[in-house]
Amino acid sequence: MLSYILKRLAQGILTVWFIATATFFAMHNVPGDPLTNDRAMTDITRANLEAKYGLDQPITTQYLIFLRNLSRGDFGISFVQENREVNDIIREHFPVSAILGVLAVIFAATGGVLFGALTALYRNRFPDYLIMFLVIMGISVPSFVVAALSQLSLVTFNNLIGFTVLPVAGWGTILHMLVPALVLGLSTMAYLTRLMRSSMLEVTSSDYVRTAKSKGVPATRIFTRHQLRNAILPVVTVLGPAIAAITTGGFVVELVFAIPGLGRYFVEAVQQLDYTVIMGTTVFYGAFLVFMVIIVDVVYGLIDPRVRMET
Amino acid sequence: MSELSASSFAPIEAHQQTQVISRPSLSYWQDAWIRLKANKRALVSLYIVIGLLLFTIAGPLVWQVDPAIQDIEQISQPPGTDRGATIVPDYEPWFSTQGLPGSGLRLAEPANSQTVRMQWDALPGANGHRVYRNLFPVGSELAYGIPLAEFLNNDTLYFEDRLDLQPGRFYYSVVALDARGQITDQYQSLTVDLERVTTLQEALERGLIDTADNIQIGDEIELAWHPLGTDYLGRDLLARLMAGARVSLFIGIGAPFLFVLFGVVYGSAAGFMGGRADQLMMRFADFVVALPFLLFMILFKIAFGIGPGESGVFPMLVAMVVLLWPATARLVRGQILQIREQGYISASQLLGANTSYLIMRHMIPNTLGVVLVTVTFAIPSAIFTEAFLSFIGMGVAPPTPSWGSMSNEGIKTMLTTPHELFFPALFISFTVLAFNLLGDGLRDALDARMRNVE
Amino acid sequence: MSADGNKLNADAPLLEVENLHVEFDTYGGTVEAVRGVDFTVEQGQTLAIVGESGCGKSVTVQSIMGLIPMPPGRITAGSARLRGHEVLGRNRIDGKEIRGREIGMIFQDPMTSLNPTMSIGAQIAEPLQVHRGYSATDAFAEAVHLLEMSKIPEAAKRARQYPFEFSGGMLQRAMIAMAISCKPSILIADEPTTALDVTIQAQILDLMQDLQKETGMAIILITHDLGVVARMADEVAVMYAGRVVEHGSADDVFYRSAHPYTVGLKEAMPTNDPALQHELKPIEGSPPDLFAPPRGCGYCARCPHAMQVCDVQPPSDHFLHDHHFSRCWLHHEQAPIKPETIYFKDAKA
Repeated sequence: MLSYILKRLAQGILTVWFIATATFFAMHNVPGDPLTNDRAMTDITRANLEAKYGLDQPITTQYLIFLRNLSRGDFGISFVQENREVNDIIREHFPVSAILGVLAVIFAATGGVLFGALTALYRNRFPDYLIMFLVIMGISVPSFVVAALSQLSLVTFNNLIGFTVLPVAGWGTILHMLVPALVLGLSTMAYLTRLMRSSMLEVTSSDYVRTAKSKGVPATRIFTRHQLRNAILPVVTVLGPAIAAITTGGFVVELVFAIPGLGRYFVEAVQQLDYTVIMGTTVFYGAFLVFMVIIVDVVYGLIDPRVRMET
Repeated sequence: MSELSASSFAPIEAHQQTQVISRPSLSYWQDAWIRLKANKRALVSLYIVIGLLLFTIAGPLVWQVDPAIQDIEQISQPPGTDRGATIVPDYEPWFSTQGLPGSGLRLAEPANSQTVRMQWDALPGANGHRVYRNLFPVGSELAYGIPLAEFLNNDTLYFEDRLDLQPGRFYYSVVALDARGQITDQYQSLTVDLERVTTLQEALERGLIDTADNIQIGDEIELAWHPLGTDYLGRDLLARLMAGARVSLFIGIGAPFLFVLFGVVYGSAAGFMGGRADQLMMRFADFVVALPFLLFMILFKIAFGIGPGESGVFPMLVAMVVLLWPATARLVRGQILQIREQGYISASQLLGANTSYLIMRHMIPNTLGVVLVTVTFAIPSAIFTEAFLSFIGMGVAPPTPSWGSMSNEGIKTMLTTPHELFFPALFISFTVLAFNLLGDGLRDALDARMRNVE
Repeated sequence: MSADGNKLNADAPLLEVENLHVEFDTYGGTVEAVRGVDFTVEQGQTLAIVGESGCGKSVTVQSIMGLIPMPPGRITAGSARLRGHEVLGRNRIDGKEIRGREIGMIFQDPMTSLNPTMSIGAQIAEPLQVHRGYSATDAFAEAVHLLEMSKIPEAAKRARQYPFEFSGGMLQRAMIAMAISCKPSILIADEPTTALDVTIQAQILDLMQDLQKETGMAIILITHDLGVVARMADEVAVMYAGRVVEHGSADDVFYRSAHPYTVGLKEAMPTNDPALQHELKPIEGSPPDLFAPPRGCGYCARCPHAMQVCDVQPPSDHFLHDHHFSRCWLHHEQAPIKPETIYFKDAKA
């Protein structure tokens, strides 16, 4: 198991290097000079920056400087907000996005497993039809519409009862987080519900469930001991990509609900062409996702004995 | 036991016709088509998809309205509003304080969508006045709306509003200012219902009437018809939805076709070559998968750069192809490897089939189903991606319409004119829904595992 | 049903199946998979149900066990009585589950028939916990003992392992241990050796016979392998196209075969008995499509002795003696060919 984790970590670092390289060359291709962006900049600042990033050097040197800084965990200093380190910006805004994302993933995973199992149990009966209808809606309606509608209904609801139960926008308390996290997790929940349903149906018609029936095991015990654990496995395998979808999908929710997360900051940085912030955020997000996928895979190994033994 | 004739026990001569296979023999695609037809949801979705394509391609031929033209008389009009407009004389400037008798805030002349002229008496204790306009009554929170004008003396007691007037109800307020120019709680309100008017000259210019003959001041004419209403710039929503459909569906269908095609080529090449080349190619695919998708879509957009007058559709297409091919490549490679191990491939090789025959006869037909399903499911996610990026302002550049950018514009006026968000969002949802259900149907119809299940 | 509802009726046959009909709804229409099957199993006996793929033998036993998915499956008629108690469609006698307690079952493919995420020991222990109220630890200890009985070496270590760590033969032993954990009176074995290597097959069959001797249970053995039948069976039921076409003791069916299909099966089987050696002869054609079952005898189309009547009217049971019967028109008094001349030509006796 340990050697497996080490191997995955090594692969992960290689992947992060690839992401960093792709980011560097994509940003290098951006038209214009990062330092002449209609921004008042003293000659000294300019010279300092040029020296720091080797902007007067050939691209390979710049790339090496970039990699060297990166390996030290130094993403540089914002071009727009002078004297502000990208690391500071990430440290300030990422926890907000992370809390939102974690809540959303919890919503999506528990909801998906629960509703998926329910639909499979009540296959072709009313609860199945109702949930699958909602799932289809959740998959088909764009997240920004869901966000806008939920905000609208919050406004109406708060007006109706005369005081604010759940705030419409902003950040701070757990009450601020609930609705945005739900909205953020909704489409993933719908996707996981579908996956769980088909996985559950497959398990239900499997030979080993038939064996359990032939042993006279009661239906509830078959459900908890045999069906659930096996049916969850495919859901766990897609949790890595689901976390990726949720964290990057946070942009919209952060914009609509005015949440000071890293996603919203990234969009602002792109609009202002803040080179170091864009590069730093991209590499950081990429690394975060790579390691989330590794964690999910390791957790999968703990659940599935076949993987556990092989590794 | 009942009696049987002796002839019953004569032997049957030949076994003709005694063995009939009652199930018809079907090819893979015939069978799939029958299954798809039996799936009502998939069939309805197929019709919706065909309808959408007609809407996009043939729609502009039927509804020949330029999506860029602004109808300033009908801004943010929901569908089904009264289109009548009364002809009034051309606008003439107003200087007079003379008006209707009366007290308090009052109209100096009947108001219409051309101009609102009002006058008032100085409020008690006022050193000046500020005029506000709102779409809602002032209420207990003293929400006056947007300030229109400010007069720091008690001489000017009249005001003319021509700002962005629309037919409908407006609430005007005039608030007393104290000596320092701060507002006090002294105010008066006026509710005004505006009637839509236009002038002869404008009606002629816009082609609403052919000639000015026979048309008098005070006559009513009909303004241009907008079946789905107009947006915040007075552009026809139906025409914009059609133009937007072209962008959204071009990206939504074009990008999946391209990246699936690339994925198929890459994946089958890797699968065929096998060994070291295969491993290297798939490792590269793993790298590309690890790139955070939406961030790189945005990164590519700024890296390509959008010049003035460009829509940004092409960079988005390229970015999607660059980022999304690995999933298909993995899938196809897996299929190829699986098929290569099948007995019928060895059998075919033993019978002397060469590689190109194997590819044409076995590999392609056996992967086509999976690829088709992949494309169908890739379309809704590509449409979503376009909408998502355009929504956060990182997609197609204005004024090019796309359903996503239209939603982005519509969401700002969601509270007052919800139709501007509703229609593009509805089109996105319906398209995504249709392609998803069609994909489900195709997958079920093409899934070979299900074919012989009892 | 007996008036004394709390006890199994010891005088009634152990298991009696009568006129069982099972249908399946499919895309193409309704398949009549089982079309009136009768048989009886007595304590300590081994009944072999023989027939080619799709003849309805698995469906028969799965209906008794309540394992037919409904829908699309449907039991349209018949009864199955365990010691006089109807079990068809209810799997219970006096509120007590019979599956795993009275009847144990093992399946064709041990690789997929065990839960991949549960240890072997826990799976064997499960019936004991469910039916006997054992604690998890006691049940696990008993599971280890059962694995030992099934001749699995290092049982204590093996019990903690997972199915993917076992070979096919080992898994089938574990399946048997699981099926007999509550000492059932009947063990149903649905093609237990089909998926295994030939060398393992004999071991599994030996194990089943040993356990039968120890516990006195009856075995219903589903197979298409006449070699397995010859080795194991006391009674044989030959099934064709959803019906039992011949039933009798193993000796009767093998040496006094009374149905052309049984004869055909035997001629298609290799043997090392010099008295029976012959040239292998396949049965031409294929079984009828049960979407539209034939009016007459199901075997008519492939039968070398088919007569006009075979095509239009189903034959009824013709008892040759005591409980050896055959469903074939050749046994009718008007039939031109005497069955003895063709059927019993292999007879040793």
